[in-house]
Amino acid sequence: MSTTAVAAPVPTPLPRAVVAARPTFGGVVRGELTKLLSLRSTWWTLATTVLLMTGVSLAVAGSLDSMAADPSTAAELAALTGPVVVSGGFQLGMLAIAVLGALVMTGEYSTGMIRSTLAAVPTRVPVLAAKATVLAVATAVVATLGIALSYLATMPLLADHDLVPRLAEADTWRVFGGTVFFMVAAALFALGVGTLLRSSAGAITVALSVLLLLPTLLVFITLDWVETVVDYLPLPASGAFLGGGEDSLSAVGDELAPSAGVLVVAAYAIVPLIAGALALRRRDA
Amino acid sequence: MIEAHELTKRYGEKTAVDGISFTIAPGSVTGFLGPNGAGKSTTMRMIMGLDRPTSGTVTVNGRPYAEHRSPLSEVGALLDAKAVHPGRSARSHLRTMAATHNIPSSRVDEVIEMTGLAAVAGKRVGGFSLGMGQRLGIASAMLADPRTLILDEPVNGLDPEGVQWVRRLVRTLADEGRTVFLSSHLMSEMAQTADQLLVIGRGRIIAAGPVQEVIDSVSAAAVRVRTPRAGELADLLQADGVTISSPEPGTLDLRGIDAADVGELACAAGIALHELCPRSATLEEAYMSLTQDAVEYRSDLAATTSAATTSAATTSAVPEEGSR
Repeated sequence: MSTTAVAAPVPTPLPRAVVAARPTFGGVVRGELTKLLSLRSTWWTLATTVLLMTGVSLAVAGSLDSMAADPSTAAELAALTGPVVVSGGFQLGMLAIAVLGALVMTGEYSTGMIRSTLAAVPTRVPVLAAKATVLAVATAVVATLGIALSYLATMPLLADHDLVPRLAEADTWRVFGGTVFFMVAAALFALGVGTLLRSSAGAITVALSVLLLLPTLLVFITLDWVETVVDYLPLPASGAFLGGGEDSLSAVGDELAPSAGVLVVAAYAIVPLIAGALALRRRDA
Repeated sequence: MIEAHELTKRYGEKTAVDGISFTIAPGSVTGFLGPNGAGKSTTMRMIMGLDRPTSGTVTVNGRPYAEHRSPLSEVGALLDAKAVHPGRSARSHLRTMAATHNIPSSRVDEVIEMTGLAAVAGKRVGGFSLGMGQRLGIASAMLADPRTLILDEPVNGLDPEGVQWVRRLVRTLADEGRTVFLSSHLMSEMAQTADQLLVIGRGRIIAAGPVQEVIDSVSAAAVRVRTPRAGELADLLQADGVTISSPEPGTLDLRGIDAADVGELACAAGIALHELCPRSATLEEAYMSLTQDAVEYRSDLAATTSAATTSAATTSAVPEEGSR
């Protein structure tokens, strides 16, 4: 028996809907913002990001004295600029923010929340777009806060070496802006990977490997093609527009032109998101 | 109104839902009944557009769910009591859902009140009991005051008071002209809650219609006899098409023969009857016979039980669930 009609008594007329409901993309964005801010883990991750950024730049600033005293590192000190010291903590801060980026999506799959989410927005792609929007804004705010705190905290230490970033200089804003841009890209990259993989452990492993582990390990391999690959990894590519100290991973990638570096980093943010959107549309929830 | 046409879902080799077609009409409570693994949840997920059918179509109020202008106003669903992030409070969870449809937060408070969650609305869902999780699921289903409700095992984990509440709620909603579609693997629950039944087993519809019709269609009426000479009577009744079972010594349950014939036979043989009682099949019996071949994970106990039922006039005690 395959075709079956369930007969029913004559339905009484439906009462007028008393609840006004009108889905909009703005509403989906507000929903995602509520989701993000209503989890304690979000606040922990955001606070960790700020602390890591400030802590690292404070540590670098605190070691300037000993760098100056040691002749072997004096040259390195000379190459160091104030903005780079202040924003230098982003390489650790991006790890925390990437974990958040991945969890924004994978947390929905691990808890089953995704079924509620996609029932409310069955066209699906707006959910990812809203998550990306909210995550980008939150990351930009946190990165800016991290830089501002680092600036204030390191100011006394940097003053001794005449390294306090000059806010009137374009170069200062290029480095600060580039850092915020890179952090946002790292968060979106992790979100895209999380959407593709749907598993927290998998997405965090892949995101952190590509962001930090691969450039750190591959840099010791001197094969030409490996060096080319390293140039196109996100952190080395960021060196093309961030500059960076001699021992910084960002410095590895000065093979790329600044504009190329920006494009490479942007591609890391956008390509996984597009692939994630396609997968999200297609797959069963 | 939910309409499915040749709806099929395969996961690799395994066919979860196998070309089913049905119509769920508004104004009544339709029960979706079947053993675990029969395809109930998969069907409900396909209705909600969460799983893509391998073939076939399913529409809600005339359209695929995802194509509605305001999806939550069309269908409210409790698909899984755990479809909530445990780190979020009940109120925050409902607010995230409400925000997508620009539903005012006064409505969030309303459904919290309606589902009796007011005292725990600010607590994190991770600490909720199964019953409170179900209430939250029902609250989010009711959020946009939908025309159709889909509830997957809504009474699972609820206390008796909660079960009563769900029954009254779905009755009220159906009386208002809404479509109510709820699943259960418990026949007794369906009997008390549903007007219509859709019985599924191994991905296929095996029966559909008003509750009583479904029961009548699958099970012949039985006759219960009590007599001190049960063994003799059983020997006498041995005939084609008569099934005899003995729930307890001195008592026989007979199928395939009516009470009058039993009485005549016993009288002719001079066997005194202490009780001769025709009774209609119960829901549980109907369910068992409907789904006998459709149970995915059958236990050994079930196999033993059905073997014992077919052997005539044994004294083995076969539990008769429905006789109470």
